[in-house]
Amino acid sequence: MRVTVFGIRHHGPGSARSLREALRALNPDVVLIEGPPDANDLIALAADAQMSPPVALLIYLPNEPKQAVYYPFAEFSPEWQAIQHGFAQQVPVRFIDLPQSHQFALDSDSQKESLSNSSKEIRRDPLRWIAEASGYSDSERWWDQMIEHRRDSTEWFKAIMELMSALREEVAKLDDSPADTREDLREAYMRQSIRAAGREGFERIAVVCGAWHAPVLQTMPAAKTDTALLKGLAKVKVSATWVPWTMGRLTYSSGYGAGIESPGYYQHLWSVPDEVTVRWMIRVAQLLRGQDLDASSASVIEAVRLGHSLAALRDRPVPGLSEYNDAVRAVFCFGDDTPMQLIAEKLIVGELLGQVPDATPSLPLQQDLQREQKRLRLPPNATQEVRDLDLRKPNDLDRSRLLHRLRLLDVPWGATEHATGKGTFREVWRMQWQPELAIAIIEANIWGNTIAAAATARARSEADRLQDLPALTALVEDALLADLPEAIDHVMTRLEQVAALSNDIPHAMEALPSLAGVLRYGNVRQTDTAMVQQVVDGLVTRIVIGLPNACSALNDEAAEEMYQRLVQVHAALLTLQNTDLLSDWNNVLGQLVDQVGVHGLIGGRCCRLLFDQKLFAAEEVECRMGLAVAPAVEPTQSMAWIDGFLRGSGLILLHNEELWQILNQWVHSVKGETFPQLLPLLRRTFSTFSAPERSQLGTLARRGISGKTSASAGATSKLNEDRARKVLPLVAQILGLEYRQNEVR
Amino acid sequence: MSAVLRQHAEQQFAEELHELKRADSRPRPPNWQLSPWAVAKYILGGKLDSGFEVTPKYIGNTRTMEIAIATLATDRALLLLGVPGTAKTWVSEHLAAAISGDSTLLVQGTAGTTEEAIRYGWNYARLLAEGPSMNALVPGPVKIAMQTGKIARVEELTRIPSDVQDTLISILSEKSLPIPELNSEVQAVKGFNVIATANNRDRGVNELSSALKRRFNTVILPLPETLEEEVEIVDRRVKQIGSSLELPAEAPALEEIRRVVTVFRELRSGVTLDGKTKLKSPSGTLSTAEAISVINNGLSLAAHFGDGRLRAPDLASSVIGAVVKDPVQDRVVWQEYLETVVKERDGWKDLYRACRES
Repeated sequence: MRVTVFGIRHHGPGSARSLREALRALNPDVVLIEGPPDANDLIALAADAQMSPPVALLIYLPNEPKQAVYYPFAEFSPEWQAIQHGFAQQVPVRFIDLPQSHQFALDSDSQKESLSNSSKEIRRDPLRWIAEASGYSDSERWWDQMIEHRRDSTEWFKAIMELMSALREEVAKLDDSPADTREDLREAYMRQSIRAAGREGFERIAVVCGAWHAPVLQTMPAAKTDTALLKGLAKVKVSATWVPWTMGRLTYSSGYGAGIESPGYYQHLWSVPDEVTVRWMIRVAQLLRGQDLDASSASVIEAVRLGHSLAALRDRPVPGLSEYNDAVRAVFCFGDDTPMQLIAEKLIVGELLGQVPDATPSLPLQQDLQREQKRLRLPPNATQEVRDLDLRKPNDLDRSRLLHRLRLLDVPWGATEHATGKGTFREVWRMQWQPELAIAIIEANIWGNTIAAAATARARSEADRLQDLPALTALVEDALLADLPEAIDHVMTRLEQVAALSNDIPHAMEALPSLAGVLRYGNVRQTDTAMVQQVVDGLVTRIVIGLPNACSALNDEAAEEMYQRLVQVHAALLTLQNTDLLSDWNNVLGQLVDQVGVHGLIGGRCCRLLFDQKLFAAEEVECRMGLAVAPAVEPTQSMAWIDGFLRGSGLILLHNEELWQILNQWVHSVKGETFPQLLPLLRRTFSTFSAPERSQLGTLARRGISGKTSASAGATSKLNEDRARKVLPLVAQILGLEYRQNEVR
Repeated sequence: MSAVLRQHAEQQFAEELHELKRADSRPRPPNWQLSPWAVAKYILGGKLDSGFEVTPKYIGNTRTMEIAIATLATDRALLLLGVPGTAKTWVSEHLAAAISGDSTLLVQGTAGTTEEAIRYGWNYARLLAEGPSMNALVPGPVKIAMQTGKIARVEELTRIPSDVQDTLISILSEKSLPIPELNSEVQAVKGFNVIATANNRDRGVNELSSALKRRFNTVILPLPETLEEEVEIVDRRVKQIGSSLELPAEAPALEEIRRVVTVFRELRSGVTLDGKTKLKSPSGTLSTAEAISVINNGLSLAAHFGDGRLRAPDLASSVIGAVVKDPVQDRVVWQEYLETVVKERDGWKDLYRACRES
């Protein structure tokens, strides 16, 4: 038996290329790969015609799918190439890492981390030390320069082995504590698997593992110690399957520990045969042209030249990604960073989405949904049905949450309908299960393994994507309905950022009421209200500052919309009962009343809102109304002011003689030709009053016309004081006040 | 020599250039005085193997300078963009001095720059006396640079009228300057190149035609990266200016400078320094140079109308003046900043009050 160990870097196209050639030369009769043996039965699917990377192996606990590990593979992953080689040559391919069934069991055993920090760092990224020692900023740059850009690398598996042996010796010296037990277990298991393969009679054994492990798999210690080490490991039941993956989730920033920075670039390095720089620049140019940006062939030539001379200046044999980026920025983008973001997103990271064959075992998300359906007694039904949920019942509340979460995941199993009758505790869903939904569930699995986790992840990513306030507020509401506290925090943070940048006061005003509702009444789902408070404070401050500008030069339609927002924001602030915010708000209302050129509807309503809060005395209102209906003002604007002031209730006219007189006189003064114009508006305003109000106003109007103003005013003010005083004790008694004779003048 | 108010870079740093030349063993592009590596060393500073210390000319991003130098090595023209006060001219002068040993082949772009100023003019006395001949030609800086294989500099390219700008197109692409009057031409010698600078705030003055733009590699010189870097620059300049104006005020506390720089940086970048709150940005540049003038203004207010110490009220009006350039939009930006950031910040109450009052 002859064992050849190939130490590779996960997701390194250079490693993959060299490995492919080395395997061809070696022609092994078995290929052993550092990977989860729990998934050995699934390896064959990797050769399926429908399988297209990036994909990931998913190992999870069937009864607790949140506990899961992913093993992502891209086309340029050396492990993936090793699998493909094995199947092409029809030799067995096996995973030999410590099975996850043991690792999960170890995780739950709460084992102590006893490693010093520095050695843990090195284990996580063993090449960083070497990279730093040779003057590179990080291991990826170093590796790119040393390995990925080298196209004639046949000897380097040996070199890597030596390098790692030396590094391991150094690290062993560093450790003051006994080594990482988990790592020892894994390496022991790998050695045992290699021995097992030898016992089965394989002659040429190829082992593909992370470079860090290579030295200890090459030189085998006695089998006895490994057996002892692995004895009596606890075990749990696990399930495995393939899931589609994306390039974006191969990146380190997506939270994947062994992630890389530039999967799209690696894919490029892997897939193009030669002229890497030229082909990259052409792809950049094509991308920019697709976005209607200038990118001529002459620019491609210049970018390639600049890339090469930059590499020369930096003492590098060939240009790498950082040279490409610098050249692209200087030549194509005229120094601008905005197109660079596009390039980073579309080319450097890439947008490729993987695909798994139909034969793949069912996914945890599907299983979670089935469990939920059973638990909530909500079976999928292909015919349409209407369900009336009573949210006061726990089961119905959970059903509602499930449906809302599914909606967030783009699985529209049900749609809400308007509930008839009163009460917010009812929710009516029209539901129908369609076969496409099963596919939607598979697609949604990328977000997480349980409905709740996936909906949370989805909502968070949506929050990052959305740019405008109303959409984000809607998302907040969806997340609230779906009861996803973690997502809500994130969405709120985003909301705050967007609100800060938004110049759109109307949007901010629309967003406020629902947030204020959440804040005032809390909610059954216990959102962190401090977060909401901060957002609300920020929104109100911005609205207050921006409102005068937002209210200038509005036409009738825009004023009508602004009126609605004004009323809603005011109502929201009243419910909040935050005196600071309210006084800021009232200040700006006062400002609007007197702002020149503000639409009458707005001015009138602001005046009314202040009057209702007793911030304007009746005299002030009289003065403003007088100004608003003065002959110098356009009659339509006067009418709008009156509409804004009175809409909803005319009671104020019945109680304030002066106001009534001003209005009455104004109606009298309107000229014959404009009156028909105003009549519909006046009627519309008055039609919002209640019937008794209207009839009383009618009486008042008749008297105003017949008796003339001064007569009617005089009639009411002439009282017999003696007789009136006699009534006072009784009035006081009715009102529950103490009546003292001498208080009355 | 010492009577000159300001020396050219190649004179002032002659010793450094000489030492670099001696230490430089790397290949040089034709007609370059130094290798690209040594040029980078000259600009960015560092220690030579001989122990000689080269002072940094540009403090900031190394990569930016590498791109600039690599561009010139590819015989592509270089366009330095940046808001005012980001050392564009300074960098172009030093690049020319290091590469050609001559930073004087300069065209200062203005609205009145003519084609003659870039290419060549005529000595009319000779033209009349001898008729058209090479002798009657008065060469412009670009023509001299072409003939001698040196770097020509064009300052404020976007201020030059568009039709005059386009003279550069054939010079940059064909590397030749036709002289139709003599039925002749000047062909550029290897080593010739052009460094142009332009202000990317008022790009609109005379936006480069896309044909010309395509012939430049563009490098944007950024504003100072860190707060400390910028505070240091402002502090040093304020002290210099203060002493030359002989202001009777005390030198400003570093704390006040830090506050002004913080305000400028936060508004410029649209996010607070702790990265927690997003802000709107005003329409003005808010460059380091403006921060310097705000502090100076405050100093002279404090000296002549205050108690000689720089306090928040002395700064408030000039800070507002620098931020609010557009009376409608910028005012909203400033008020939001005041209410959401300044008001809440510990120890900034005096500034908040002063700003609200003025």
